[in-house]
Amino acid sequence: MKSRLALWALLCLSAGACGADQLTPAQAKGKQAYDHICIYCHSPGVWGTNRLARRMDKDHAVLENRTDLTAAGIRAVVRAGIGSMPPLRRTELSDADVDAIAAYLTRPRSLEQ
Amino acid sequence: MPQSTVLPPGVSAADFKSALRAFAQVVGEQWVLASDEDRHSYLDAFAPGDADQHASSAGIAPQSTEEVQAVVKIAAGYGIPLWPVSSGRNLAYGGSAPVLRGSVVLDLRRMNRVLEINEQLGYALVEPGVTFFALFDALQAAGGKLWISTPAPGWGSVIGNALEHGVGYTPYGVHADTICGMEVVLADGEVVRTGMGAVQGSKEWQAFKYGYGPVWDLMFTQSNFGVVTKMGVWLMPQPEAVANYAISVPDYRDLAVLVDTLRPLRLNDTINADYTIQNPFRSVMDELSMQGKTRETIYAGAGSLPMDLITRELKARNRGMWSVGFNLFDSDKGLDLREAAIREAFSRVPGSKLQTHRWHRGEPMESWMRVTPALAPLAGVDWYGGPGGHINFAPVIAPIGERVTQLYEAIYKRFIEYGIDYYCGLLNIGRRALVVNAVTFFNRDNAEMTRKGRELYRVLAKDGAALGYGDYRAHISFMDDIAAMYGYNDHALRRLNERIKDALDPKGILAPGKQGIWPAGLRGAAAAKRGSHT
Repeated sequence: MKSRLALWALLCLSAGACGADQLTPAQAKGKQAYDHICIYCHSPGVWGTNRLARRMDKDHAVLENRTDLTAAGIRAVVRAGIGSMPPLRRTELSDADVDAIAAYLTRPRSLEQ
Repeated sequence: MPQSTVLPPGVSAADFKSALRAFAQVVGEQWVLASDEDRHSYLDAFAPGDADQHASSAGIAPQSTEEVQAVVKIAAGYGIPLWPVSSGRNLAYGGSAPVLRGSVVLDLRRMNRVLEINEQLGYALVEPGVTFFALFDALQAAGGKLWISTPAPGWGSVIGNALEHGVGYTPYGVHADTICGMEVVLADGEVVRTGMGAVQGSKEWQAFKYGYGPVWDLMFTQSNFGVVTKMGVWLMPQPEAVANYAISVPDYRDLAVLVDTLRPLRLNDTINADYTIQNPFRSVMDELSMQGKTRETIYAGAGSLPMDLITRELKARNRGMWSVGFNLFDSDKGLDLREAAIREAFSRVPGSKLQTHRWHRGEPMESWMRVTPALAPLAGVDWYGGPGGHINFAPVIAPIGERVTQLYEAIYKRFIEYGIDYYCGLLNIGRRALVVNAVTFFNRDNAEMTRKGRELYRVLAKDGAALGYGDYRAHISFMDDIAAMYGYNDHALRRLNERIKDALDPKGILAPGKQGIWPAGLRGAAAAKRGSHT
């Protein structure tokens, strides 16, 4: 996984057209919301990531690296909570933001697939 | 998330439906949150038992003071209890769930404006939905000259945390002390501004707490006498430097000397922010939790973690049995003077070790400074494997070593008796007090474990009261138990609270049962319930 990401990063650098600047407006909005809210538990090395590493495996621990997430699954987890993750209410995270986060986390990543 | 329909007590389904329609006319259809999904999101995410016992009937999310007034009036008309929450993130104390099942959650999270940041006078005026993250961002955007004091964790509300007597780790860490001026909606819908805010056109609302006549601000903290819709919060000007200290003492019997050595340093403000003493279990458990590890990593046995195991774990890491951590805020020269006094005091404590490092203005902020909000401390919640939760038994005690040791040991005995790991921090709150924060972690899927945790909590509340102690805060399931600790003169304080409740909220609309304060109509039932808990 690590080497695959490194290769992807290298290709992106040479092509100069991958990464955040290639996101659609909806995905970019989702990344912004993700960085504002989700990141506190789901960046590498913190609670949510560690929990996922334990429950699944290392490759499924960092949400932003995952390619197996679905929009419906993300919406369900955000609204209902899962394990020790509390639900996020509509007053603190709008349906539009949840959709944008889902768009970001499920964005196509052709080089990885 | 299947839930049966929940109604406010004594309100018919037809009346409730009609009330929801009336609420919708005020806040808009989409902010009447009555679907199963919405109601599920208001349950206590860390419930020590069946979360449904504190289920709400709906959430209502106004966006302005005027909307709050209208909602309160409608609720009064129908006799529907409202449970106001600011961000609803009072985790380990009930989250956004009400004491009384069937209450409507008055969700103020959408009132999220930072109304004023005043760098000249070091304050902000905020609405209830402003989180520590949001205020931090707003202050950074304004140039970062003012710093917040954030609790651990930081996704709660600035107002909510101050109202619940939360604490942070800067010289502004006693958050209730930083309140200066409130706007409050009373149970009949009237709006009051406290302190200088009562003067028409005053520019001193956030500069002077006392105004003229009685000071009401603190009456609206840990109470159910009004809905706070705006609050002034004093903020610390960015210091020139911050220093972190980690001091350990080697022996289990050193708790008293540690507490007695810290006391004069805190009292004369050499240590100018609240400190936290970690017990041996907490030192090890925190380290493992932050690495994503759980209890089974070090112990598979039943019962409370054995002391000799923890002693070995600490020895292997070359760490002392007790450690205290705190930050100091000053100029570099000021820090030098403070540090000299601290070193001198600890030079008389055999085997103590001191580690320190500093930050200077202009450098990137570091997590150890604890002025950047974070959620990392939540890691411990999974100690027994997920889904986790915790409750905190937290009696207040003066920092007198002998007494602290006695209370600490009394609580420890009960933890052993109930077979629960004794995760404990002695949290300094202001210059003259500690709370012995004895945390019970549990796995929410384990009914026997949560039952034991609840039982332990109630036994500790009785023990604590018998020894002359009272807690500083309580989870919604235990608010009556902690209120009972304050029993002087046959619970005269409870009766005073009830008299005020009856005068301000005769219909008992606002947060029935909060802090053990029940409206007249529910007082009999509450009294009958006391002592019959399992």
